[in-house]
Amino acid sequence: MASYFVLGIFTGLIYSMVALGYTLVYGVLRLINFAHSEVLMTGGFAGYFFLHYTMPTINVSTPMRVLILIGAIFASGIAAAIVAICIERFAYRPLRRRNAPKLTYLISAIGASYFLLTLAGKEFGHNPSATPQPITSNMSWQVFGAQITAFDLVLLAVTAVLFLVVNALVTRSKVGRGIRAVASDAETASLMGVNVNSTIAATFAIGGFMGGVAGLFVAMSSQVDYNMGFTPALLAFTAAVLGGIGNIRGAMAGGVVLGICMYVPIYWIHQPFYEPVIGFSILVLVLLVRPTGLFGESLGRSA
Amino acid sequence: MNYREFLTRLRLNRDDLRLAITCFAGGVLLAIMTGPEGSLQDPLYSVKHALFSSHVWGFLIFGIALGAVSIYRRKLRDGLLTTRRETPRRSIRKSVADYVAGTGMVARVVTFVVALVAALLVADYTGPYVPNKLSFHRIINQFGHTRTYGYILVVFWLLNALRVNARPRNDTVRLPAWMRSAPAKIAGGALGGLFFALCADPWLPLSFRFKFLTFSGNTNHAFFHHWTTYLWTFAGLVVGLRAANLERRAATVATTRRRPARKVTVSTNTRLALYAGGMFVAIEVPKWLSPFWQETIFQQIGIFCLLAIGLNVVVGFAGLLDLGYVAFYALGAYTNAYFTNALPIHPPFVLNAFYSIPFAILVAMLSGVLLGLPTLRLRGDYLAIVTLGFGEIIYVLASNLTNITDGAGGTGATGSFSVNVPGLHFALNGQALGDDLNFYYLLLAFLVPILFLFNSLNHSKVGRSWAAIREDEVAANSLGINSLKYKVMAFAIGASTSGVAGVLSSAKLGSLFPSDFAVQLSITVLILVIFGGMGSISGVLIGAAFIGWLLQYLIFHSFIDYQDADKYMYLGAILILTMIFRPQGMLPSRRRQREFHDADEGLGTADAMGAASEGPLS
Repeated sequence: MASYFVLGIFTGLIYSMVALGYTLVYGVLRLINFAHSEVLMTGGFAGYFFLHYTMPTINVSTPMRVLILIGAIFASGIAAAIVAICIERFAYRPLRRRNAPKLTYLISAIGASYFLLTLAGKEFGHNPSATPQPITSNMSWQVFGAQITAFDLVLLAVTAVLFLVVNALVTRSKVGRGIRAVASDAETASLMGVNVNSTIAATFAIGGFMGGVAGLFVAMSSQVDYNMGFTPALLAFTAAVLGGIGNIRGAMAGGVVLGICMYVPIYWIHQPFYEPVIGFSILVLVLLVRPTGLFGESLGRSA
Repeated sequence: MNYREFLTRLRLNRDDLRLAITCFAGGVLLAIMTGPEGSLQDPLYSVKHALFSSHVWGFLIFGIALGAVSIYRRKLRDGLLTTRRETPRRSIRKSVADYVAGTGMVARVVTFVVALVAALLVADYTGPYVPNKLSFHRIINQFGHTRTYGYILVVFWLLNALRVNARPRNDTVRLPAWMRSAPAKIAGGALGGLFFALCADPWLPLSFRFKFLTFSGNTNHAFFHHWTTYLWTFAGLVVGLRAANLERRAATVATTRRRPARKVTVSTNTRLALYAGGMFVAIEVPKWLSPFWQETIFQQIGIFCLLAIGLNVVVGFAGLLDLGYVAFYALGAYTNAYFTNALPIHPPFVLNAFYSIPFAILVAMLSGVLLGLPTLRLRGDYLAIVTLGFGEIIYVLASNLTNITDGAGGTGATGSFSVNVPGLHFALNGQALGDDLNFYYLLLAFLVPILFLFNSLNHSKVGRSWAAIREDEVAANSLGINSLKYKVMAFAIGASTSGVAGVLSSAKLGSLFPSDFAVQLSITVLILVIFGGMGSISGVLIGAAFIGWLLQYLIFHSFIDYQDADKYMYLGAILILTMIFRPQGMLPSRRRQREFHDADEGLGTADAMGAASEGPLS
C-alpha cells in the first residue's frame, strides 16, 4: 500500500512536469496542445543520445555522473523546447494569423503530433531501447514500509528546482509578466507593447523544457521509444485538468494527486494495465463534477 | 560587402531568402521522410542517405525549385517583374469554351465521338480482369457487347449535362410537362437503371445471344450480377427521385423568390450526371480490378468511406471533434463476435453476422449516448481528449481482458454472412478469395442508403440546428435549440455508423485483433474527413477513396522508401497542410466554406467548441 502510494507520488511528479506545459499553453492560447506528447518524446531521445555519447563505459566517477545528469537535463530540455517552438511556428501560428476556429487548431496539432511521432520512428527505428543510467547508486531508504531510491530523490529535487524556477519566471520576470498579460487579454497586452508572438513562443519554450526533462526521466525509468509520449502525455493532461487547467501550481499538485489516485487502486486489483483506465475515469469524473479543477483555472489570477 | 548588399545586388530581399531557406529545409525534410529507416545505433543514417544518395537528391532539387518558383511568384505579385499578358493558351481556351457552349450539330457530333471512344475504352476494361488490355482488336470487338451501348449513353449524357451547365441558362430546352412530372422521372430513372443493369450484367438465367451481340458480363460470379442489378435499379430510382425533387425545389424557388438567393453553381443536370457517374464508378469499376485491388476497395476504401461518412456527421455536421471514433467500430466488431459465438463468453442465442448488425448498431449507439451525455456538456476541446481516452480504454480493455475478448492474440472465427429471405439468398465467406467484391457490394448496399439518409438529415431541421450550433452556440441556445440534444444525436448517429462498419469488417476479416482498433485508425478516419472537406458528403467520399488508394499505392510502388508504419507521417503532414492552406477541405460544402471564411473575419465560430473568441486567437 505505502509502496504504491510512493510510486504514485513519484510517477505523479513526471506527470506534473508535463502538465505544466499543457497548463501554460492553455492559459495563454486557450487550447490543448495535442502535440505535447511529441515534445516529451523529443526530450527522451535527446536525453538518450546525450547519455549514450557521454557515458561510453559504466566506470564514470560520481561527480562526473552528476555533471552528465545536469547536462542531460539541459540537452533534453533545450531540444524539446526547440521542437515545441517549431510546433508553435508551423502548426499554430499560420492559423492564428487568420483567426481560425478552434477545431482547426486541434486538428493541426494532431497532425503535428502524428507527423513527429512517425518521423521519430523512421529516424530512430521502431525498436525500444534502454537508456544508459547516470544514477547507479543502490542506496534506498525505507519510509513507512515503502522504498525510496536515489532515482526518486533526484527526480524530486529536479522537479522541485524546475518548478520553483518556472514559478519565479512566470510571477517575477518580464517574460512572465508578458505571459500573464497575454493570458488575461491578448489584444490589450499587444496594445501595451507586449510582443504577443514572441511571448507565445516563450510559453511553448518553457512548457517544452519541462516536458523534455519529464521525457528524460521517462526514458531513464523505462526506455526510449518513438511512441513513448502518448500515454504519459494523455495522463498529464488529466493532471492538468485535475489541478485546474491554466494554473501552474494546480498542475504541480494535480500530477501528484493523479499519480496517487492511479496507483493506490492497483494495490487492490493487481492489474497494472488498469492504470490508464483509472486515469481517464478520473478525468471524466473531474470534468463532470468540477470542470475547473481542484485549484481553479486562471493563469492570470492564481499564478 | 555584407549580406544585405549582397542580397540587393541579387535583387532579393530578406523575405525571399527566408522563403528559399524554408523551401530548401522542406526539401531536406522530405528527403529524410522518404529515406530509409534509421536505428538508435545510427540515428543519422537516413540523413546521410538523404544527402548523399542519388535518388533522394531529387527531393532537394524539388525544394530548391519550389523556393525559386515561390520567389518568382512573389516578385510577380509585387510588380517587380513585367510579363507579357498575351499567351497563346488563351485562344485554345476560347475554342474549348465555344465548343462547350455550342448547341449546333458540330458540338453534338464531337461529344458523341468522345463518348464513343470513352465508352469503348471503358468497355474494354470492364471485361474480366486480364493482364494485357488495350489492343486495337479487343477495343473494336467491344461493339459486340451490350454494355458498350449502355456506356455510350451514360458518357454522352454526362458530357452533354456538363455542357448544358456551362451555357447561359435562358436557352435551355424545355421538356413537355408530362416528362417533367415526378412519377415520370422516377419511373424513367428506375427503368434506365434496369436497362443499364441489363446491358452491364445479365442476371437472367438464359444465355441470350443475338447473332453478333453478346449479353456481356462475367457469368461465373452469379451472385454479384444479381446483386448489382438491384444496386443499379436502386441507383436509377434514386437519380429519378433526386431529379423530381430538384425540379420541384427549382419550381418553388422560381415562384417564391424574384431572384435566386445564392448563385447556383452546379445545375440540376450536372448534378444528376455526377450522381450517375459516381454510381457508375462505384458499381462498375471494382469489377475490372485485380484481386489485390478488389480486396483494397472493400477493406480500405469501402470501410474507410463508411467510417468517414459516420465521422462526418460528428465533425462536419455538428462541429465536434471525436478522437475515439474507432472505439465504436471496435464495439460493433466485438458485438458481432459475441453474437456469432467467437468469444470465450457465450451469447444466449447464436446469430448470423447479418442479424447481429442491429445489435451492433444498438450497442454502438448506446455507448455513444452514454459517453456523449456527460461529456458533450463540456467545452469542445475536453470532448476531444475524453474521446481519445475512451478509445484508449477500449483498446486497453480489448487487449487485456483475455477471458472476455481473447486478448491481443485475436478472437476465434466470426461467423459468415448468410441471408435467406424470399427474394434474397446469399452466403458470404470472408476467407474465400473471390468474396471481396461480394462484401463490397454488400457494403455499398448499406452505404448508399446511409448517404441519402445523412444528406436529407443535413437538410432537415436537425441539420439546420447543427449548422446553428456550429455557427454560434449561444445564439442557437437562445433560439430554443437544445444544443446538447443535437450534439448527442450527432454523436450517436456517428457511433452507430461506425458499429455497422465494425460488423462488416469483422465478418470479412474472420477474427478480431485489438491492434486493428488502435487510436491511429481514429486519426486516419479524421484525416479522411478533413482532407475531403468536412460537412461535404461527396468530398468526404472522394477524400476517403483517394487516401485509401494512396496508402495502398505507396506500398506497392515504392519510388520512395515507404513502409506501412510511415503512413502517419504523410497523413499528419496532410492534416497540417490542409488546416493551414485549405481548412474547408478539397471539395468543401458551400456552407462550411462560408463559415470558415466568416470565422476568418471574426464572425461565428465554425465549430461547436465553445468559447473560441477568448484568448489571443485573434
